[in-house]
Order: sequence, then C-alpha cells, then structure tokens
Amino acid sequence: MRIAVLLSAGRHPVSGTPVLPRLEAQAVRLAAGLGEAVGLHAGPDAAAVADALGQGLGRIEHLHLAEGADPVPALAARLGTLAPDLVLAGRRGQGGPESGMVPYALAEALNLPLIPDVVAGSAGEGTLRLDQSLGRGALRRLVVRGPVVVTVHPDAPAPLAYAYGRARRGTVEAVTPAPAAASVPEIAVEERPYRRRPKLVKGAPAGGSAAERLKAATGESGAVASGRVLVEPDPEDAAREILAYLRQIGVLAPPAAPGDR
Amino acid sequence: MTSLMPLTTVFPGLVWLMAALALVQGLRRAALWRVGAAAPVAWLDGLAKLPRRYLVDVHHVVARNAYASRMHAVVAGGLLAASILTALAILPPIAGFRPYWLVVALAFGVTAIGSLLVGARRYPEKQKRLSAGRFQILPFLLVAYAVGGTATALLLALGVGGVFAPLALALAAAGGLGLAFEVRHGPMRHAAAGALHLVAHPRPGRFEGRPDTALQPLDLDAPRLGSEMPADFTWNRLLSYDACVSCGRCEIACPAFAAGQPLNPKKLIQDLVAGLSPAEPAYAGNPYPGGRAGEGERGPLARLIGPDARIHPDTLWSCTTCRACVEECPMMIEHVDAVVSLRRHETLERGALPEKAVGPVTELRQAGEPGGRPLAARTDFAAGLDLPLMAGRERAAVLLWLGEGAYDLRYGRTLRALVRLLREAGVDFAVLGPEERDTGDLARRLGDEATFQALARENVATLRKYRFERIVTADPHALHALRNEYPAFGGRFAVIHHTAFLLELIRGGKLNPGRLPDLAVTYHDPCYLARYNGETEAPRAVLDAIGVARSEMARSGRRAMCCGGGGGAPVSDVPGERRIPDLRMAQAAETGAGIVAVACPSCTAMLEGVPDRRAEIRDVAELLLQAVEAGR
Repeated sequence: MRIAVLLSAGRHPVSGTPVLPRLEAQAVRLAAGLGEAVGLHAGPDAAAVADALGQGLGRIEHLHLAEGADPVPALAARLGTLAPDLVLAGRRGQGGPESGMVPYALAEALNLPLIPDVVAGSAGEGTLRLDQSLGRGALRRLVVRGPVVVTVHPDAPAPLAYAYGRARRGTVEAVTPAPAAASVPEIAVEERPYRRRPKLVKGAPAGGSAAERLKAATGESGAVASGRVLVEPDPEDAAREILAYLRQIGVLAPPAAPGDR
Repeated sequence: MTSLMPLTTVFPGLVWLMAALALVQGLRRAALWRVGAAAPVAWLDGLAKLPRRYLVDVHHVVARNAYASRMHAVVAGGLLAASILTALAILPPIAGFRPYWLVVALAFGVTAIGSLLVGARRYPEKQKRLSAGRFQILPFLLVAYAVGGTATALLLALGVGGVFAPLALALAAAGGLGLAFEVRHGPMRHAAAGALHLVAHPRPGRFEGRPDTALQPLDLDAPRLGSEMPADFTWNRLLSYDACVSCGRCEIACPAFAAGQPLNPKKLIQDLVAGLSPAEPAYAGNPYPGGRAGEGERGPLARLIGPDARIHPDTLWSCTTCRACVEECPMMIEHVDAVVSLRRHETLERGALPEKAVGPVTELRQAGEPGGRPLAARTDFAAGLDLPLMAGRERAAVLLWLGEGAYDLRYGRTLRALVRLLREAGVDFAVLGPEERDTGDLARRLGDEATFQALARENVATLRKYRFERIVTADPHALHALRNEYPAFGGRFAVIHHTAFLLELIRGGKLNPGRLPDLAVTYHDPCYLARYNGETEAPRAVLDAIGVARSEMARSGRRAMCCGGGGGAPVSDVPGERRIPDLRMAQAAETGAGIVAVACPSCTAMLEGVPDRRAEIRDVAELLLQAVEAGR
C-alpha cells in the first residue's frame, strides 16, 4: 500500500519552536503500520517537518512554495502524480498558518472521499479497515476501498519516539511544484488572543444533584437519552421516526397542522 | 628420579609450561577483544601505574570485605611467589641449592592455606552472591597445585626422591595446568584480564583521586550510534567485562535488583561477556529478578538488546545510573557506561525508548523542559520573593541554577528556603529565569545524546553571556551536568552544591544558625553528589552546625543506596516487586530518626512519595533556615 502523509510546519504550543504537529506524528505512526509511506510538505521550509524522518518516515518530498502561498494546488498536482492508496493528514494544524481545510480542499480537488477523525487502521485485501472516533471514546469501524483521504484524531496511538539516527538516514527531496493556476482569494480572518472561557453546557440544570449535573454534562439525558431503538423497521416508519426526531431537536420546522386555519 | 631429566628441571619446566598454556589460553580470548572498536590507551603510563592501581585502588575496594582481602593476599601472593621462584629454578645453580627449595616449599605452603580460604567461601555451602559453575572447581585446582608444589619442593629440599616425587609432581601438574587452562573461560581469567584492564582502563582518571564520572560525549556523526552488539564496544571495554570475577558485590548494591526489577549488574556484565562468544560456559550466578534466562544468538555481531536477545529491554531501562555497582566493583568495571552505551543505540538508532519516557524526552527536545511547561514558569515558586534575573543586570557573584525541581510544588519550598538563606546572608545572586533550559540530564541518561548535546550547547551559550563567579545549584543532577559534562561542550564553570555553599556561609559568619538539638536527623546521600562528585561531608557539616542529633544509615556516603529517582527510572517505570524508595525509607526508619535530610529534588520527590512513612523529608536548606530563624 502506498501512503502519503501530509506534513505541516507547526509550532510547539508552549515554546513556539517549529515542530512537527503531534497529530501528524501520530499519522506517521499509523502510516508506518500500514505500508510504505512518503511525507509531503508544501511550504517555504521543510526543517520543522524533517522531524518526521526520526519518527517513522523514510522520505519526505518538499514542494517549495513562497511564504503564504496556497499549498492545495501544488499538493493536489503532486498527489495526482503519486496516486497513493491513502492520504493521511492531521485533523487540524498546530500553531502554523493553517485553516484546517487543506484535507477537505484536497479531497475535493482529487475527487476522493474523506474520512475524518480516524484512530486506527489496518489493511485488508484491497480494502482498508478504519476505526473512526465519534468522540467520548465511541468508535465506528469503516471498511473502505480505493484511495481515500483520512484525517487523524488525537486519540490515535501516541507518536513514535524520535530517533536521531533514523532522522539522519532519512531524506528530504525537493520536488518542483506544478505552477499554480491562480491564487485563491484570501479568507478574511480576525486574530485576537485566546481567552479561556467556561464551557457552557446547554440545558444544564442549575441545581440538582452532582449525578444529575454529570448526566446533563455527558449528554446522557435529554434528546439522546430519549431516543428509541427500532430493529428492522418498515422504511416508512423509519423515515417518519427520523423526521419526528429532527423536528424534535429543531432541525426541521414543525409540520403545518392539516386543519390549519 | 629415574627418568631422563632430573626433578629439578622437570618441576620448573612445569611452571614454564603452565605459563605457556596460560599465555595461549589468554591469547585465544584476547583475539576476541580485537573485534572491538579502537580506543586510545596510554600503554606505558598504564603499565607504570599498574602496581599502584592494584595495590591502592583495587585494594581499597576489595578490603571492604576483610576476608576477601586477606584471602587474596595469601592465595594470589603465594601463587605468584611460588610460581616465579620455581620458574627461576630452571637455572642449574639455583636448582642445585637445597635451601632454596625450602623457600619455595614455604611459598607453596602459604598458597595452600590461601586455597583453603578460597574453598571455605564455597564449601560446604557457597556464599549467595558468588557464582557457581567453573568457579566451584577453583579451590580444588588451587589445593592440588599448592599441595603438590609444597610436597615436590620439600622432596627437593630434603634431597629424597623415590616413589613420592612423581606423585607429588603429578598432583602439582594437574592443579597448575588446570589453573592455566582456566585463563580462557574460567575463574583465572579475572587475574589476567583484570591486570590488563587496570593498564588499559577506559577511565584512567578515576585512579588519580578525582571522580571521573562524566559520560563521554558521543560523536553524532559516527556511522553507528551507541552499542548494538559486542563489536560496537571499544576493545578495552570488552576486556573490562572479561575482568568480571562474578563476585556479586554489584548485585548486593544494586537498588533495582533489591526492588525485584529485572536487573542484575553481574548478569548484565556476564551477558556482555557471553554475548561475545558462543563458547562461553553457562552463567551460574543469580539470575535477573524474574528469572529470564539468556536467549538469542551469541557472537560479536549478534544483537544484544531485545525481547528475544540476551538482554531484555526492561533490564536496560531498570538502571537508575546510581553507580553503586561501579563503586563496589573490585575489578573497576564501568557498568553505567555499558548501560548508557546500549541505551544510546536503542534510543538514537531504533527510537525504542520505554513508552512512558517518550513524552518527557520529546518535550525536552521541543520545549527545553521535560514537562513541556513554559520556561518562564520556572520561577513561579518564588512568588512574593525577590528573585533577580540575570538578564536585568548582566553580572552577579552567584548564579543560582534552579533546575527541574523548581516546577515541583514540594521542591519549591526547598528553593524558597534556599533563596531566603541567600538573602539573609546578603549573597549577590541572580537566576536565569526564562533563559534557563533543562540541563538535558534526563535525555542523556536515557541515551538521547542528540537532545542532550543540543540543550548543552544552548545552555553554555546562555551562561557565557553573563558574568558570574560561581554557579550554585540545589540539584546534584544539574551540578554533575554543569560541572563535569558541560566542559566537553565548551562550558567551564565553577559549580558548587547548595550544601557546600551554605557551609561556606556558615563558616564565613554570614549565617548564624541557632541549634535544633531536638531534631533527630539521618542524611540520605544523593548518588549524583556522593558517588558522582565525591561530596559527602558538606551536608553533614551543615547538619552538625545546627546541632541536630545526626545518625547514619547502614549504607551512607559513597556507598549509600539510591532513592530510585535517577537515570530516567521514574519515567521508564519498569515494574518490580517492590519500590526502591520504599526500601530506602525502611533503611532510614532503622535509624529511628524522625527526619530524613535530603539534598536533591529527585530524592525529595521519591522519598516523599513513600506511603506509610514515619519520617519527615526535609532538605538541608529547609533545616538550616529553621535553625537560622530559631537563632534570631
């Protein structure tokens, strides 16, 4: 299986030194367990992502781009040439200039499915079995065929230790990026310092016992708790149930009563 | 004698034959050392100093066990004297002089007494720390050679021959040739390899009266990093492992062995010996706790570390690098160097750090601090205290190196006490604050030499920006790195431990402590202060100056037991049957002291973490501050 791991120039959350984001180091570990992997970095400098060479990658391709240039066209062109069976990326960046959209934009450009928040994977006969995190420890197992883009969840196994000797043996290969067709319009963003805020739990009871508040906080009451399990229902009934549920939680407007004035 | 040659020729000839056989056996073994890497050895210097190293340095260690010392004086001295005297008798004028043979008989007689002393350690029951196997036949060989030699020499002295002479000679020949044969694989190897090891010792500095304990820097551009197989060690290291006589003194001293973690220093060295050659006889001492037998391939190019190799990774990561084994080793073997060299390969080439150690080492590499905390938060412990920063003033008499302990809430109390004492004494000091990175001690002991060297260079560059006379630190691990290991990276600083500095202040009249006679205190020596730097007196002198009732644990000073906090052992966290700090606190409880005085953040954390302890853990600085406040 041929795997491409997307590597971004991140920063350490505390020290601010250029580092490989932890999620991508976890992606490298996943890739190392699946097959032959190559790292792919588009940006001005590959020094920070070279850490991945010590953590399980043997080779990194560096597409040299100017500071601030959109990496998606260059990555899409290179991935089109490499045609890997699996593209791995972190689910979000870490401290660098990132939008979190690159995997999605790539999947769209390459016309590939994207599976987010994966914590484990194993290869089958031409298929790939992926465990996707649904949050709070819940997992969903997916079996996919054909090339996919996968983003990695923080619950994936911790990154491999950095081995200086391996990093020394790995190679960073400069690849000339395909000329970009047009520059993408910049997304208008506002930057302001992070301020820690209390987490608001919707519909949390102000009083009540600790157990009740815990239930409210972990979502074991309310809409989730009041759900019903239907086993092999009639498609009509199932559709009706879904509609009723969507109306209940306010996604759909309530039905106009037949005898409406 | 009725044979062609007279006994006066045959007997010395036997000794010459023994010497030749020993030489052949020794050379067969020595051929294996040649697979090792090259090492610079000052041959002439080493040879000239051999007698002194043997009679002073080795004797100093051996004599800790008076029986072993006397036994060696008699048996080794007698054996050498008797053999050399007999060998000289190959010259006819000497051989014909009957009183000479009386002297020879006397020398053999002394050897015979020594042989019985050797045997008494092994029969009827072997001492527990000793190895069995080929060592068990040693007393018989010695007795045969000594008794046969005595009888032959007596017959020559009396000038009688007859039927007894061939019998006595045969007995001496069986014992003597057996001993010579044992030079390759058996017990007698320790004599030959041990002598050569003293000449070609990889750390000659330790015989010059100074602690030569800094790990040697690793060339990060070398084609292979660390030691994967026996051939990766330098030849004189391979020689040093062959010097091991399996006496087991290291295993008694080893804290990991005592705690039932899978490490036995003797077995580790014997695994390195056995790994070198498949022909090596089976190990016959105590196994690694857990009883794992040696498995896997053997040979100069066979992998040493692995779940399926001679040494399990857990064995490697159990070591606290406390140097207790090195301190106790009568053959002057450097166990810790071997452990670190093997760890370097595991970490640098294979990335095979213990799972729990990966996080701290990664943070060290990326954030300069094993907890991944902001460097500026290091001075948070001093909230409310006036702690001047070096950056604001460029120079100070004393630079206070805070170290890793500053982040720890408990140890913050100690540092606050130290800062208040420095204020009280009017010391002109400053800290680096956010410019202080970790010394990299943890990374280095865990084999991550690359991270250590990067941190060392950054710290040296920071320190060289400022003007100060001395560095004072309360962390012996930082002290060892700054004082002994940073010189290799261009940083030569005068570094002093806080206990020594506080003693200076007391003696200089800057601090006038009152007396605390009601406190019963026992002092726990940190390994990196006592064994790595030979400093055991200053903390005790401070405690005596404040008049506490001080008692000593059975193991103290340079022979103290580790708290379990060194060498990355707390982050590697290899499971054992007991915990090392629990054992140490039990030893402290034997003294009956209500306070265990410490002088190291690791010891503080490890010993405070012991459940059900009766004694309080107090740093020397905290006790001194209490005394100073009482004296006001």
